[in-house]
Amino acid sequence: MSLHAPESWSFTVTIRDSIALRYSYNDLTRNKGVNLALIVILVFSAFLMATGSMVIERVLSSMDQFFDEARPPHFLQMHKGAYDRAELERFASEHPEIDAWLIEEMLGYDSAAIAWERSSTGEGGDLADSLIDNLFVTQNAEFDFLLDENGSIPRPDAGEVYVPVAYREQFGIEVGDLLRVQTAEGVQELRVEGFVRDSQMASSLSQSTRFLISEDDFAAMSAAGGAIPEIIVEYRLTDTSLVQDFQTAYESDDALPKNGESVPYQLLRIVNALSDGLVAAALMFASLLLVAIALLNARFVIRGTLEDEVRQIGAMKAIGLPNRTISGLYLAKYRAMTFLACVVGGLLAIAAAQMLTRTVQVDYGAAEVDLVSVLVPVLALAFVYVFVIAICRRVFGKIRRIEVVNALVHGSTLDDRQTARRAAREVKRVRRTSLAAFGGGNLNRRLALLDLRAEARQWVLIPIVMFLAAVLMTLPMNLLSTLSDPAFVTFMGSPESDLRADLEFSEDVDAVHGDLLAAMSADEGLENVRAFANVLYETEGEEGWEVLRVDVGDFSSAAMPFIEGGPPGTGEIALSVMNAEKYGLATGDEILVRLDGEPSNLTVSGVYQDITGGGLSAKMQGEVDAGAASYTVFADTAAGADTAELVAEYADAFPSAKVTPMREFMEQTLSYVTDAVRNAALLTFAFGLGVALVITSLFLKLRLTRDRQKMGMLSAVGFSTNELIAQVRGKTLAAVVVGTVLGSVFAATGGESVAGSLLALAGLGIVDLEFLPNPWLVYLAYPLLLISAGYLGAVFLTSRLRGADKSSWLRG
Amino acid sequence: MSNDDRITLECKELTKTYFSTEPPAKVLHGIDLAVRTGEFLVVMGASGSGKSTLLYSISGMDRPTTGSVLLEGRELTSLDDAEMSRVRLTRMGFIFQQAYFLSNLNIQDNILLPALKAAPGDRDAVVERVDALMERFGIGHVKRHGVTQVSGGQLQRASICRALAGRPAVLFADEPTGALNSSMSAEVMNALTDVHGDGATIVMVTHDPACAARAERVVFLRDGLLVDTREQGAWTAETAKQREDDLFSWLSSNGF
Repeated sequence: MSLHAPESWSFTVTIRDSIALRYSYNDLTRNKGVNLALIVILVFSAFLMATGSMVIERVLSSMDQFFDEARPPHFLQMHKGAYDRAELERFASEHPEIDAWLIEEMLGYDSAAIAWERSSTGEGGDLADSLIDNLFVTQNAEFDFLLDENGSIPRPDAGEVYVPVAYREQFGIEVGDLLRVQTAEGVQELRVEGFVRDSQMASSLSQSTRFLISEDDFAAMSAAGGAIPEIIVEYRLTDTSLVQDFQTAYESDDALPKNGESVPYQLLRIVNALSDGLVAAALMFASLLLVAIALLNARFVIRGTLEDEVRQIGAMKAIGLPNRTISGLYLAKYRAMTFLACVVGGLLAIAAAQMLTRTVQVDYGAAEVDLVSVLVPVLALAFVYVFVIAICRRVFGKIRRIEVVNALVHGSTLDDRQTARRAAREVKRVRRTSLAAFGGGNLNRRLALLDLRAEARQWVLIPIVMFLAAVLMTLPMNLLSTLSDPAFVTFMGSPESDLRADLEFSEDVDAVHGDLLAAMSADEGLENVRAFANVLYETEGEEGWEVLRVDVGDFSSAAMPFIEGGPPGTGEIALSVMNAEKYGLATGDEILVRLDGEPSNLTVSGVYQDITGGGLSAKMQGEVDAGAASYTVFADTAAGADTAELVAEYADAFPSAKVTPMREFMEQTLSYVTDAVRNAALLTFAFGLGVALVITSLFLKLRLTRDRQKMGMLSAVGFSTNELIAQVRGKTLAAVVVGTVLGSVFAATGGESVAGSLLALAGLGIVDLEFLPNPWLVYLAYPLLLISAGYLGAVFLTSRLRGADKSSWLRG
Repeated sequence: MSNDDRITLECKELTKTYFSTEPPAKVLHGIDLAVRTGEFLVVMGASGSGKSTLLYSISGMDRPTTGSVLLEGRELTSLDDAEMSRVRLTRMGFIFQQAYFLSNLNIQDNILLPALKAAPGDRDAVVERVDALMERFGIGHVKRHGVTQVSGGQLQRASICRALAGRPAVLFADEPTGALNSSMSAEVMNALTDVHGDGATIVMVTHDPACAARAERVVFLRDGLLVDTREQGAWTAETAKQREDDLFSWLSSNGF
């Protein structure tokens, strides 16, 4: 007996499984359209979920691996001009937490001074289109390595140069090309030996990039003049948790060089992860919306299936099959579909993730594909699978409550009490309407509205899905247009303007600044010329005095928004969000600052958003024409004048000034982020439209099947097919419009704060994101497209009603 | 009570083939049939003989494959969908085996629906006529009730009211008692007989010899062909039993 038991057990399992499989197969092939639509949505969800998780995993592990190899500094300070090396050595000896430190010397060249040429084809050009600083350096000995594409540390020989990978992408420079650098004495020729990735300056938000040359060439170019010498003081600490304190200590030491940007390690990581992380987050968000849509649909389809097959279910219950077996039979189909969707979505995601992480691979190098790389998307997909099946199982739980007699005799999934309740609802509804008292008007419209009211529980699916699709499409697009809007510069702590001229520290910077300002003010092609000086004040931090970078200038007419308070007047100071947080200050509070040892008390006039330079800045009203760390002049182009010409003119006249057209500056600074968001926006746009079309079609397919007898009856009593079609299309249009409009309104209001708080969490200095949407696009074209997609589904499905024999509808 | 030799409805060489099956199913093989004005005609036959297909083909619900259908002398097969719908609205009435009603309208509204659609400007007169019909068929007291609040017999009588509300030239009934018990069946057949007494032209498909006994003429369909016709004169309650027996033997002789 005991020998036979396992056999009979396995026999039962096989039979049961094969019945479930056969049932699934038959059902899948019988209801092709409905099942296909459901699979498509499930594939969409699985695809986005897998892509999002893969992108995140790839970005993080590529960065980890890259950071491991390149060993970026934990704290760095840029500086131009003279400095005292002995003071730096003193500082290093006083701080045992320093593991290693170095002073990297760099030669800065204007983009226009660098040209490339390919002797084999004669192709060539200069780098003038690039707006970031070009710094020539030699390879470091201990850390902060520039890595070649294989991840090794290249050491160029004399006459060789390694070019930033970004330039290979931007200008198409190849190995073997000649690079010509214009020095004061002549042209220095270098041969491109390879490309380097840069842990410090790979990020899109970085404003400079490094070229790697040999010690000999560095010495030669340095002697030849024409470059702006600059240094970076870099530190590796024994423990990265000490960075914050270390930064404070550095900045409160008066003797150390610090007139340039300072960047702590954490910021380096955040900024590096930002652009690709943003896309991944957008994709995961989109995936969650799609999972929600898929579940709503599955629930709708399952409930429909239960109603259609209630007699079968009743019969199965009558012959004594347990509820679990019956629901298992139906669930098998959903298991198969979800599993298939996860596999297909996962496979598609491999290609998509590859495409989306291309820039990551260029900038950081591809990380090894290890167990984690495989596990992350698999777990994400497993989550989708388990979640979907769990919800389906819940809906199928209804089988338990189906009563055999009601199912077999009345074909009803409801028990007596539910039937009574439904009848009572119907009676109440019927009492409220009366065609006898109906004062005329369109009978078809009236019937459609009555239907919508009576079947609101089913129809509500469409507005919900359209709502989600509208949000799905609108949010990434709004983010994209915000990032691409010229006014976004105000989030970067600058006023809106057509061009800006930056003067960094040099011996004659004050004189050049005076000349430049005079020339620009007198120029008829320019108006609204505003000069700001970057002055290094000091204020009291937790551990004594530390540097506070203040832009001093005329802010009375500055077109930049404040999230609280307003621009600073005399005796006042405005703080960036991150500074306000750092010092725990709000509008109206007092802050003690000192300049050249002279203290003064200032009132905080307002707080603004700034994402540049770590987001720590301040603004003060006044005029400074000497002693500043750097100067910036903003100007608008007068009507009729050409920004590009003016930029070229001033760049020629003032070689030490960096003159940039604001629009291009913005575009280049944010190009990686905007490219990434653009990809996400395109993807969600296509998916949003696809979902609108697929779901409306799926819903109507099921709805029309259910309404066949009603349509047959209406047809018999004299309603034409066109009238029936118009009723269905009208109902669909109403449902689609309501959902789309609500979704767009939500995206414009609530969605902004959702996206804003996500960005605020990222700690980038934006706390109050105000979308700068393209209203015609997102609040007119998008909703219209979405409505059209939904309506198209209705047109497509209802047009098949024409030509049908009406009696077939009556037969059910 | 066909006291008239005029023809209300006529079909000639009517065929119907369903092309959705493989191979295509030819259900009607060339039917010639004329329904006299005021006649009560019943179509009988075994399941699958093509009774319902014939009914739906001559009522314009389905499009015949070949042949012609004339209603009051007007060719129906050449009408487009909108024109055909207009004909069904104004000249035809339908009663089905299941009483199809809109569950979100009360009984009165359901009956009013086609009549209001046909004569939207004539609301008061339409409402008055419908109320009178409902009283006549004994459902006046349930006119504000929902569809789930009345019995099957009441619903089917409501169907008859709806079919009559538009004053049709011909009334089509497809197994109108098929879903009812015998007492409800009798209610419905009494109502139909009553309507016929007023001069209505009725074409009815049924399985039930007791119902068919009410008709003046019974035609028998086998495999899509009209194989036999039986004229049985006007029905009276007194001769009902005898008619049923005679009809039964005739049906038996046709292999029913």
